[in-house]
Formats: sequence, C-alpha cells, structure tokens
Amino acid sequence: MVKTIVSIFISLALIVGISAYEIYSVGSTFRTFSEALASLYDKTEAQTATYEDGCAVRTFWKEKKRTLHIWIPHTSIENVDYQLNEALGYLYEQKYDDALPKIEVLIQMSEKIPASYAFSFENIF
Amino acid sequence: MGLIFIRTIIIYITLLVVMRLMGKRQIGEMQPFELVITLLIAELACIPMADTSIPLLYGVIAIVTIYFLHQIVCLLDLGFKPMKALLSGAPSIVLNKDGIDDTQLKKNNLDVSDLIESLRGAGYFALDAVDYALYEANGSFSALPKTNYEQMQNSLPVILIDEGKFDEKNLKLTGKDKSYFLGVLKEQGCKNEKKVLVMTVDGNGKAYFQKKGERYKVLELGWEGKIW
Repeated sequence: MVKTIVSIFISLALIVGISAYEIYSVGSTFRTFSEALASLYDKTEAQTATYEDGCAVRTFWKEKKRTLHIWIPHTSIENVDYQLNEALGYLYEQKYDDALPKIEVLIQMSEKIPASYAFSFENIF
Repeated sequence: MGLIFIRTIIIYITLLVVMRLMGKRQIGEMQPFELVITLLIAELACIPMADTSIPLLYGVIAIVTIYFLHQIVCLLDLGFKPMKALLSGAPSIVLNKDGIDDTQLKKNNLDVSDLIESLRGAGYFALDAVDYALYEANGSFSALPKTNYEQMQNSLPVILIDEGKFDEKNLKLTGKDKSYFLGVLKEQGCKNEKKVLVMTVDGNGKAYFQKKGERYKVLELGWEGKIW
C-alpha cells in the first residue's frame, strides 16, 4: 500500500514537473523568437533589414530548436524552418515586400505553436 | 505534456467504463482495468516509436500516465471494497438450484447457449449436473457440481428449445417431430415454445426444461432405448 502511494506521488510529480517545464520552456523560447521576428519585421518594413539580420534570427532559432524537438512535433519545427529560409532568401535579394508576409507568418506561428499546448477546452478535445 | 496527461486520463476512463458496461463476455481472465491497459499500452508505445515526427516524450508521458492511473485503480481496488465492485465488477451467479438465472445472463450480454458452452468447457455436459455456475469478475467460469453428477452425464444433451425457439437441427436428431414436443410442453402448462427459456434433451429421453421466470424441471420422456 505504501509503495503504491509513493509510486502515485512520484509519477504525478514527474508528469506535473515535465508539464510545467514544457509550458515554461516552449513559451519562453517562442516569446524571444517572436520578439526577434518583430524587430526583423520592423526593419524589413523600413527596408533597412540586411541578410545578416535574418541570419542572426536563424542562428537563434537553430540553437533553440534542438531542445524544442523534445517538446513539439518535428513537423511544426520544419514549417518554421521553411518559412524562415524563404524570408531569408527574399532578404538576400532585398525583396522586402516578399519577405514581409513570410515574417508575418513566422510571427503568427510563434504565437500559435505554444498556444496549441496550453490547457484549454479545444486543445484537450 | 499536460494535455497528453489529461487526454490519456479521459481515454482510460472512457475505455474502463465501456469495458465494464460490455459485461463479462468481453473480458477473458483479466480485470477490466487490466484489459484497458493492455489495449492502450501497445498503441501508446508504438505510435511515437514508429512515427519519427512525434517527440518520443509524448509516448513516455502517456505510458507514465497509464502507470499513474493503474496505481490509483489498484489502490482503490485493494483499499476500498465498494470501489472494487465498481471497478472490477462482482461475480454473477448465472445458474443456481432453481435453474438458469436469465436476468444475470442478460446483464452480462450472454445467452443460454453461451452458458452451456462454458459448462461444457468446464466438463459438465448436463445443465442439471451442477448446483451453481458463475462468471467471475474477470470473466472466467466456475461451477459447483452435484455430488453424483457423473452418473447424470451418460448421453450428450442437445438444445431443443433456446429462448423460445426450436433448434431444427437438434429436433431432427431426436427423431421426433415438433408436435410431439409441443405435446410435452402442453403437459407442462406451456401453450407453445415461446415461453420456454431452455429445453435440452439427451439420447435417453431425459429433458431439462425451464420456463421463463420459473424453476427448472427434469422430465423423463420415456423413450425406448438410447437414441444417441
């Protein structure tokens, strides 16, 4: 009986701990990523963004996505990779009008992905 | 991960309730909550293992949640007697000294032929050879035979009427026609076969007869010689 109760508390603590860390880790990574993207968006809108600015955002994303693979489906990460590379391609060619929608999509994704892991009725069902 | 935890709990409880409602026919030697785990755990382990786009942790969390729920169910099952009946069910006595308990059979989604099959599996071929027969909570079958049950089983009984319907194949085997048996039924106060829960007959002409909602009778039909 004691062993069973202890095992219940250990497994519950493990699940709650992992869940809390997941919410914190995924949330904070995407918040920082979203801020970096917002800054890139402003620069692109002002047509002052450079390819290097885009590369800086990509470097940040590359560092963070290694741990994100543990928490979120790999297809979501691949979608971010795809949109980010497209945006960088346009920045390289200085096609700011084409890069803006791509960065906008990335900002939306960085808000939607953590939201899809939040405790809500629609996510549970 | 929290979402997976909650979703796994919902699926587990749903499956457990469904398994309990399905009755003992669906279970086989396992408690309902053990069967639910068997159904879930293979899929939970397999999907993240085969699909590389899903983080492996999703499977791990779901399995740990199943373990957590299993431990809670075990605790309730062992520690609180009323919960044991709710989670695992209770044994159902489907045959007693009055005969077959049709209500208990229906409650477990079973019929008379299922009971006869279970009896045969346990080594009892005649319905009147046992005093009690029951399906345990885990779906296994137990029977308490009469002291001289071996003498009662010298010819294989076949079902002649099963829940108000004649079995035409077995009727032919007896070499008698329907009107002969309708005559037997009339002697027992039955206008037709509709009110008969079960009637079996063996090669010596010994019949087990039970009307719906009444005690069973053993009839000697007085056949000359052994037919089978």
